[in-house]
Amino acid sequence: MAHAESDTADLGKASAPGGRMNFWGALLQNGAYQTLSNTLFKTQRRQFVMLASLPLLWIVFANLGPIVEMFWIGFLDSYPPKVGYEPKLTFANWAAFFQDRVFIVPFFRTLAFSLIFTVITLLITYPVAYFLAKHVKRKNQLLFLLLLLIPFWVGEIVRTYAIMILLGNNGAVNLVLKSLGLIDRPIPFMYTGFSLGVGIIYLTALYMLLPLYSALEKIPDNYLEAAADLGAGAWTRFRRITLPLSKEGIASGCTLVFLISTGYYATPVLLGGPRSTVFAETIAGFFHVAGDQWPMGAAFSSIMLIATLAATGIFLKLMGRGGKGMIR
Amino acid sequence: MTGETDTIVHIDNVTKRFGSVVAVDRLDMRIMAGEFVTFLGPSGCGKSTTLRMLGGFETPDEGRIVLDGVDVTRKPPNRRDVNMVFQDYALFPHMTVGQNIAFGLELKGEPRDEIDRRMGELLDFLQLSGFRDRSPDQLSGGQRQRVALARALAPDPKLLLLDEPLGALDAKLRGQVQIELKDIQKRTGKTFFFVTHDQEEALTMSDRVVVMNAGRVEQAGTPEDLYFRPESRFVAEFIGETNLIEGTVRGIDKDTIAIDWNGTDVRGVAHGHQPCEGDTVTASLRLENVMCHPRKPARMNAIEGRIVSKLFKGSRTSLDIRIGGHQNTVIHAYMDAGNAAQVADDRLWISWEPERLTVLRD
Amino acid sequence: MTRHTRIVMSVVYWAFVIYLFVPLALMVTMGFKDSKFIGFPIRAWTFDWYATVMQDTQVLAVFGYSMAIAVSTTVLSLIIGTWMATFLGPNMFRGKAIVFALACLPAVIPGIISAIALRIFARLIDIEPGMLAIILGHTVHNVPFVALVVMARLSTQPKSHIEAARDLGADSIVAFFRVTLPYLKPALIGAGIFCMLLSFDDFVRAFFLGGYQPTLPVLIFAKLRSGMSPEINAISTIVLIMTAILGLWAERSMRRLNKGS
Ligand SMILES: Nc1ncnc2c1ncn2[C@@H]1O[C@H](COP(=O)(O)OP(=O)(O)OP(=O)(O)O)[C@@H](O)[C@H]1O
Ligand SMILES: [Mg+2]
Repeated sequence: MAHAESDTADLGKASAPGGRMNFWGALLQNGAYQTLSNTLFKTQRRQFVMLASLPLLWIVFANLGPIVEMFWIGFLDSYPPKVGYEPKLTFANWAAFFQDRVFIVPFFRTLAFSLIFTVITLLITYPVAYFLAKHVKRKNQLLFLLLLLIPFWVGEIVRTYAIMILLGNNGAVNLVLKSLGLIDRPIPFMYTGFSLGVGIIYLTALYMLLPLYSALEKIPDNYLEAAADLGAGAWTRFRRITLPLSKEGIASGCTLVFLISTGYYATPVLLGGPRSTVFAETIAGFFHVAGDQWPMGAAFSSIMLIATLAATGIFLKLMGRGGKGMIR
Repeated sequence: MTGETDTIVHIDNVTKRFGSVVAVDRLDMRIMAGEFVTFLGPSGCGKSTTLRMLGGFETPDEGRIVLDGVDVTRKPPNRRDVNMVFQDYALFPHMTVGQNIAFGLELKGEPRDEIDRRMGELLDFLQLSGFRDRSPDQLSGGQRQRVALARALAPDPKLLLLDEPLGALDAKLRGQVQIELKDIQKRTGKTFFFVTHDQEEALTMSDRVVVMNAGRVEQAGTPEDLYFRPESRFVAEFIGETNLIEGTVRGIDKDTIAIDWNGTDVRGVAHGHQPCEGDTVTASLRLENVMCHPRKPARMNAIEGRIVSKLFKGSRTSLDIRIGGHQNTVIHAYMDAGNAAQVADDRLWISWEPERLTVLRD
Repeated sequence: MTRHTRIVMSVVYWAFVIYLFVPLALMVTMGFKDSKFIGFPIRAWTFDWYATVMQDTQVLAVFGYSMAIAVSTTVLSLIIGTWMATFLGPNMFRGKAIVFALACLPAVIPGIISAIALRIFARLIDIEPGMLAIILGHTVHNVPFVALVVMARLSTQPKSHIEAARDLGADSIVAFFRVTLPYLKPALIGAGIFCMLLSFDDFVRAFFLGGYQPTLPVLIFAKLRSGMSPEINAISTIVLIMTAILGLWAERSMRRLNKGS
């Protein structure tokens, strides 16, 4: 009888509002869950394996898979597979690259353009970053930085379009030049390396600015004051202190801008012209035409990936060594 | 031994290594139910590691940990009836005081009204009633410490672990919290396992103090035991101020040991070990156990000495007294300021109860 | 620094701001021009282009399509990126530097190559060009960003928080959901909005991975190739305002995050 009583009491308790178990408590008390939790996390090692499983799978399949597959396709003579045809291995796709100026010229143009754009971006954004980090009062820095950030949230296409309006024959620049009486006929900025450069720098400047800013912001003001105390002039202070200490920011900013600017496709199509074709357009061409061009596109993409990664690798290595020399 | 029933924790010959560092070295001890045990020792001696092994955050390399008769050596923290007060309190910043305290109860599957009842009790008990809906960062250091304590007590653990929980408090508050903590422990009857490197903290609060050094237990005992009857030089030096007397054992009779201290005969006792005649030994004599007399007292082992330095410290005077002709035969002692004024010519007599001079193990 | 250089620098800064804003301002302005022809001079103003856009069912459909992709991408990226961060952040193991570098790889590969590789991969795993392929591509690209932001936040969480949760009865899963996840909240909001922007704005992956249905940037690109028109300006302006609002929101929650730690 007592048993029955306690049963009803329990029931009353469970159904009373607010008398229920917390969700997580119920989960932890659940027998099935306990067994699961016990088997999955029995040892530290097993727990680590559980934690590592998805990220490692993701890295292998999503990050490495596409690249490995791309290299592999580059060695096939035909892809996507056709019915009744067994693709054969070949080096022809790789060799083709070296045999035709139509491929080599855009390739080196891309690398050269990216290099030039990177340097120009560095030169433009360094003073901006320096001004932000050293001359703007700390409590205003966020506001000043935000002002620069807003345009960068807008997408690639919209911003490219904005540059088209700016530089067009009836664009703002030509309008201003004309009204100043400097020109009679509009200057054809568009569809040249110049318009492409303006566009790419417009798109990538942030990737330079942010690393520079965070590197410069970390340099304590008293380093510069101490150097000034020791009689170092403005130029010496810059060359001997600011520059070496912002080296890391320069390295990562340049790497990012270089890698990103080699990868643009829409911007060169919209802003560039026949004399400024970049390798991205060459590669894309293989995937537009229906048919058997994928292997060549894959091989070319692989060549470009190797080239850009090698270039940044060499650059970072040089920066590492040069930087150490500079500090000494 | 009163028997297994009273033992709540048995740390059974536990060793823990980090790479080549032996953090805890063959530690073996029992903790009784309802006891306030403090692990005391210098930085890096393995106190926290011991505590973390009890909590389940580290696994011993050797040995076992038995909690209330159950081997928990390999059980994770969530499967032990042990709760911890962290040094930084580790209050969850996104939860209110009430939610923090309820956390452990919720996960135990307690129904809501039971949680509310228990929380009300604890908030009352720890004088936190008005703070239930506050966020932890709106509390003072002492209040946060109490919330951490309430949170750890809420699931009704068999053992409460406290890793230097007063470290974050300022000196004034610390004294007050020490008293509170001891009081809370008494009233709840819980077993407290407390870790500190502050000897005063250890002596004021504990039923039993365990002095650790380099991963091993130097000595365990009541605060009085450790203070007045240290077994090793490390303990004597680590706790309080003391005179260390180095000499040769001249003779042993049934209660006392006679030591030749640079030509002066002194008498003492030994605890936990027995030296042999002819041994070179160190003995400890607390400053406050040295009695100073302006004139020769009617006592057996009174020795004449000369004051070599005197420091006035208000209610008492601190003295350095040289005995005999030897340069190093100096005793530090305290004397009432009034008595000190009566000392003529810097000459005085000192004496001590032989059981106050403890011959140390090493 | 002398006053001279200081003035020069502030001039450079403001010139840079003008360089960033003028093109966008022009673009917005042209959206109100009462003529089909983009360029100066502007003789009359109108809101008609916005009315046209609002009634253009194709644009609205594309907008919804892009939004759906952005939201799915964000959810997936947050889950995988957070998991990645909890794995790579606190754990030490051999070869971690390499694993970390590989985890960040998709964020630094030039866009066109990433798009091509993903296109080929989609073929390999038999995903038709279209929504699913784009979501996959965007997620691959966004996961490193989420992981980096979450790792930064995670590194500021005291270890004792998780230990306290475990001590009070939580297993590692419950401890994660009840203690770590709330701690990560501001980072997750920031990273999530950033993912939305990355996905919504992305052209190159959407272009190569998409099927017949274009995303918004692909649609704008297609329209641009057949000539500029104020309608494009109106669409772009709407996108611009939306991204600015989202971006500012993300920025705010990220700042609060930095203040909190
Ligand atoms: N996770 C770890 N990895 C490597 N070594 C550790 C680790 N934890 C502790 N140690 C080492 O073990 C020894 C004991 O550390 P423990 O933290 O237990 O000391 P402690 O007595 O608590 O000191 P403190 O008073 O400074 O807190 C130290 O030498 C320490 O460096
Ligand atoms: Mg410690």
